[in-house]
Amino acid sequence: MTSSRIANVGLVDHSRVVKFSFDSRSYKGFEGDTLASALLANDQMLMGRSFKYHRPRGPVTAGASEPNALVTIGKDARTEPNTRATVAELYSGMVAKSQNAWPSLKFDIGSINGALSPMLGAGFYYKTFMWPAAFWEKLYEPVIRRAAGLGKAVMEADPDRYEKSWAHCDLLVVGSGPAGLMAALTAARAGLRVILAEQDFRLGGSLLSETAVIGGVSAPDFVSATLAELAAMPNVTLMPRTTVFGWYDDMVFGAVEKVQKHVAVPSADKPVERLWRIAAGRAILASGAEERPLVFGGNDRPGIMTADATRTYLNRYGVATGRKVAVFTNGGSGYRTAADLSARGVNIAAIIDSRAESADYAPYGVRVIRSGSIVDTKGGKRLSGIMTNRFGYDEMIDCDALAMSGGWSPIVHLMCQRGARPVWSQEAQAFLAPDVGPLFIAAGSAAGHATMSECLRDGATKAHAAVEAVGRLVGHVNTPEVEGEYDPSFAPLWYVPGARSKAFVDFQNDVHVDDLALATREGFGHVEHAKRYTTNGMATDQGKLGNVNAVALLAGMRGVSPAEVGTTTYRPFYTPVSFGALAGTARAEQSRPIRTSPLHGWAKKNGATFLESGFWYRSAYFVEGEEKTWRESVDREVLNVRQNAGLCDVSTLGKIEIFGSDAAEFLNRVYSNAFLKLPVGKARYGLMLREDGMVFDDGTTSRLSENHYVMTTTTAYAAEVMAHLEFASQTFWPDLDVRFVSTSDQWAQMSLAGPKSRTILQKLVEEDLSDAAFPFLAAREVRLKGGLSARLFRISFSGELAYELAVSAGYGEAVADAIMEAGREEGICAYGVEALDVLRIEKGHVTHSELDGRTTADDVGLGKMMSAAKPDFIGKRLSTRYGLTAADRLQMVGLKPVELDKPLKAGAALLREGVEPSMTAGQGFVSSACFSPHIGQWIGLAMLKSGRERIGEKILVWDAVRSTEFLAEVCSPVFVDPDNLNLHA
Amino acid sequence: MASLITCPHCGRRPKEEFSIRGDAVPERPAPAASEEAWHAYVYLRDNPRGNIREYWHHVAGCRRWLVVERDNLTHAVFAVTDAREAAKGGTA
Amino acid sequence: MSISFTHRHILEDRMGGYEPSPNANHLTVVRRPVIFSTLAHAGHEAAVAEALSLVEDVVVRSVSPSDWLVVSQSASAATISASLATIPGLSFAEQSDGQVLMALSGPDVRTILAKCVAVDLHADMFAEGQSAPMMICRVAGNLARTGADAFEIIVPRSHAAYVFDELRDAGREFAMTRGFGD
Repeated sequence: MTSSRIANVGLVDHSRVVKFSFDSRSYKGFEGDTLASALLANDQMLMGRSFKYHRPRGPVTAGASEPNALVTIGKDARTEPNTRATVAELYSGMVAKSQNAWPSLKFDIGSINGALSPMLGAGFYYKTFMWPAAFWEKLYEPVIRRAAGLGKAVMEADPDRYEKSWAHCDLLVVGSGPAGLMAALTAARAGLRVILAEQDFRLGGSLLSETAVIGGVSAPDFVSATLAELAAMPNVTLMPRTTVFGWYDDMVFGAVEKVQKHVAVPSADKPVERLWRIAAGRAILASGAEERPLVFGGNDRPGIMTADATRTYLNRYGVATGRKVAVFTNGGSGYRTAADLSARGVNIAAIIDSRAESADYAPYGVRVIRSGSIVDTKGGKRLSGIMTNRFGYDEMIDCDALAMSGGWSPIVHLMCQRGARPVWSQEAQAFLAPDVGPLFIAAGSAAGHATMSECLRDGATKAHAAVEAVGRLVGHVNTPEVEGEYDPSFAPLWYVPGARSKAFVDFQNDVHVDDLALATREGFGHVEHAKRYTTNGMATDQGKLGNVNAVALLAGMRGVSPAEVGTTTYRPFYTPVSFGALAGTARAEQSRPIRTSPLHGWAKKNGATFLESGFWYRSAYFVEGEEKTWRESVDREVLNVRQNAGLCDVSTLGKIEIFGSDAAEFLNRVYSNAFLKLPVGKARYGLMLREDGMVFDDGTTSRLSENHYVMTTTTAYAAEVMAHLEFASQTFWPDLDVRFVSTSDQWAQMSLAGPKSRTILQKLVEEDLSDAAFPFLAAREVRLKGGLSARLFRISFSGELAYELAVSAGYGEAVADAIMEAGREEGICAYGVEALDVLRIEKGHVTHSELDGRTTADDVGLGKMMSAAKPDFIGKRLSTRYGLTAADRLQMVGLKPVELDKPLKAGAALLREGVEPSMTAGQGFVSSACFSPHIGQWIGLAMLKSGRERIGEKILVWDAVRSTEFLAEVCSPVFVDPDNLNLHA
Repeated sequence: MASLITCPHCGRRPKEEFSIRGDAVPERPAPAASEEAWHAYVYLRDNPRGNIREYWHHVAGCRRWLVVERDNLTHAVFAVTDAREAAKGGTA
Repeated sequence: MSISFTHRHILEDRMGGYEPSPNANHLTVVRRPVIFSTLAHAGHEAAVAEALSLVEDVVVRSVSPSDWLVVSQSASAATISASLATIPGLSFAEQSDGQVLMALSGPDVRTILAKCVAVDLHADMFAEGQSAPMMICRVAGNLARTGADAFEIIVPRSHAAYVFDELRDAGREFAMTRGFGD
């Protein structure tokens, strides 16, 4: 195989060879190559098979809009499918594979789809799936899925790191071609903080592919000099390999930087990709313009690419795309390409110009066919000839590559992502950027400018305006003179008539002209309908290359202007963004901001199994000795708490300090029960309602001094309650003197419960803890032996004699250790939230399983906590309305299965005995259930219609999920110590 | 939604620092107001297109409740004020 | 029986016993700072702010127009508490164990912090001596600039290990070292 590389041409480093493989074959490229340019240099034109018909395809472009050359790069867990070879920076050891071909790229069995193409036309998927489901589910869909597809993802976890970062600037310049460079330079010299983002690994944009002379030096040298100046300025950030993919509200741009996608094995010290959120004062879109393919018969053969791409491979990479290249053009770009090729000694087969006349010059001796067209092509894995037609006369011309130019479309994607539609310009024969206000403007060819000198000037001018708008002085920036530029103007040619084979519009999705015609005939001519019906503009390229042609073709078929057809909706992302980049560091353990209790270490060394609860890890139960199941541990813990004592971590409860001369009045308004007369040194259980009368949260509030309270909330509602208090204080009653601060993290809080808890605690606490000195609901600051101060509350969730002790978080573990030690001879154990749940169910205490947003205080038996005397509290007014006081509301009751071995599960439905189970016959549901080692069977709390009147009734417990039904007896929700004798011991 | 909100106390901040409660137009009725007034306050909301007023809580910042006036179509933000000041001024 | 309780820092486990000699970019976890939440009651905001600025041996971090964190690495909690108690219109609560103070310094610290906070930390936008509450690594915390290339962050204790891990990863490309400091 001979090489197409031209010695010492281009910006690749001919002295640095890069070895890589494609479909298991070894190749050599140069540093500075893309995978596509390196393959072309090795005469490997065939790079993929098309999506639907499996037609052989080569690259059409040399950039981000590439629809054909999609390959899978990397191996094992680093395998990345659907990568565009045209933008993949070549690196040593790159392993690339072709996609969508079986058994191989050269001999692809799927290409028989091409022969079946009459059956695979527009609307094929919709029509197929309208057949009976049994047909396609089993038969067609699996076959279609295998036949029509892109690359395959691998199942291994991604081994690489990703991260996100913010960036801030006065001016973001997107694109580093002539307009972008001049814009950045102008703004930077005026002192603005400038970010210049470029998706390519090399900055310079189209200047890297052009042969014009700028300011007396070659275009690439002009780029180097400008970049050197920019790089030296502290107010400039150059961001190569960074694609700005989205424009969001308030001038925030999303960008993804490929940090280490150009190395075989990335360093673990850096991410492979970084997602940027760029907050910009202003932005200039200098993303350039896309050269449009021409739509003619057989326009998809490998070797046919845009004139711009041909020039890029030649001038930037030093690669001739063929030995004998034909040019098909409707404007100046084709002539420029012919001139550049010719200057490098490449034969030009002919220039076929669709126009009758033009001012463009062909290279000396090159034949020009004016008013010419191409109606068909030949060749298998590579183009071997074109059938031209002029005034009805065919002529076959041999060539191995074709450079086509169908005019230019400004790349306006970003500016259209927030609802504005691009605007059709009859003059430019293109969609131009919409006016989206002064903060974000297009410059250069993205703004419809054609020549290089216009683009340079426009970049400077637009940046000038931005500088002035922020009130800075504009430095002096000369727009350099350009010599030898060309005029890229063109005459529109949307469809080349007389096609003898498929004329493709969207290469990636195999949409050809007939598909669009069929869509129009079948009533799907609206641009959004046509997209879905034909799949034109779907998948990875999202119609970057083909959409404007498709719009113009639809316009032609419907007999309207492209303006009337309009475009499909533009949305982020401009190019595909990996899930890894979007997740950043938020994966596995770091996927959310985990919270660690100050007693985590204590729980861990006592054998805790942890349970995720919101952001917290809470100790669920503590395995001891030979215990094999969680139930064994939980049963032991529960029994031990009721017989001896247990220590439980309750640090996760919300703790809010409340200060102010109106704190009592404020609490009286946010709780449904009375709080005005709570004495200093006492705790009170309180119930908060929502304004609709339903219970919001419960907890205790203690008065530590005249104007200082501490409130505890449930773990789950800590943040919500704090926000609720702040809202009530700031908006309902701004004149009340009350302030709050969360001290949830300051305190390690532990519940010591059980008949022996006083004996144990007294060993550590200086103050007298006798019932007389420290009665039920006492709440005071105490001193531990050794001098550490603590807060002690005599409150109980388990129903036993119990205390909650709070110490400064750093001492939590040491104090918990000391309690365990002090309680050893009393038989203390550690207990977790599972045992706590059993203890509270046995006692009929509610949690958010019962307080689920649909229950009133009365529903859960707390009706007496609704103060009738208070003029106002949150939820008071609507709590008495019709429906909330009805006798047939669901009320909380206890449940005991009639047969002792039946396990009760939360969520099961309750039905009258003898009724055929159905949801419509439901009488309520089980809200909480557990095995009670105390009772010796499963028990539960349930919400049951008029429940309190039905104590003693047998009711059917129907669990449709687990397919069980059995009878249970309705009973009081208090299973243990109904007279609270233990509590007051 | 907006990407950045200018908190009157903290300056320009990302939306992730805030939580949105919703409509700031209804005012809490007097305790003795009619059941209809309370029903309207708790349950009835206009769903206008365009200019709206919402309560935003700057939870990861100053923890103040704010009144954000914004356009739910264009996402333009017109004003951000402290809800307490607005409540005291009687204009919320 | 008199008991001497051992104090534990939440990041004790994260340090894993080794404390490398600091690189140019370094994260110092302050072992025992004294931190108070201070709240001005309505009408007292300006007077309280003024009075706080006069308290000795502390730095004041702003949280809101009526809330501040008072931080000290030299004075004792009892001393500060006594000073705060003399200020009219002020309530306060100790948070020394409830908040974790970390100091970052080095030439790349702004780049590292850009991965953690959305606020523009350019010196023109966030000057030396300035502090503000903000989301730091998805956690509500407080950030202060203590020098051209030096910042301090304060985050709730329960989130500190998470934030520490995020900072460690963010600093990896700049070889940021970590260690306790007093």
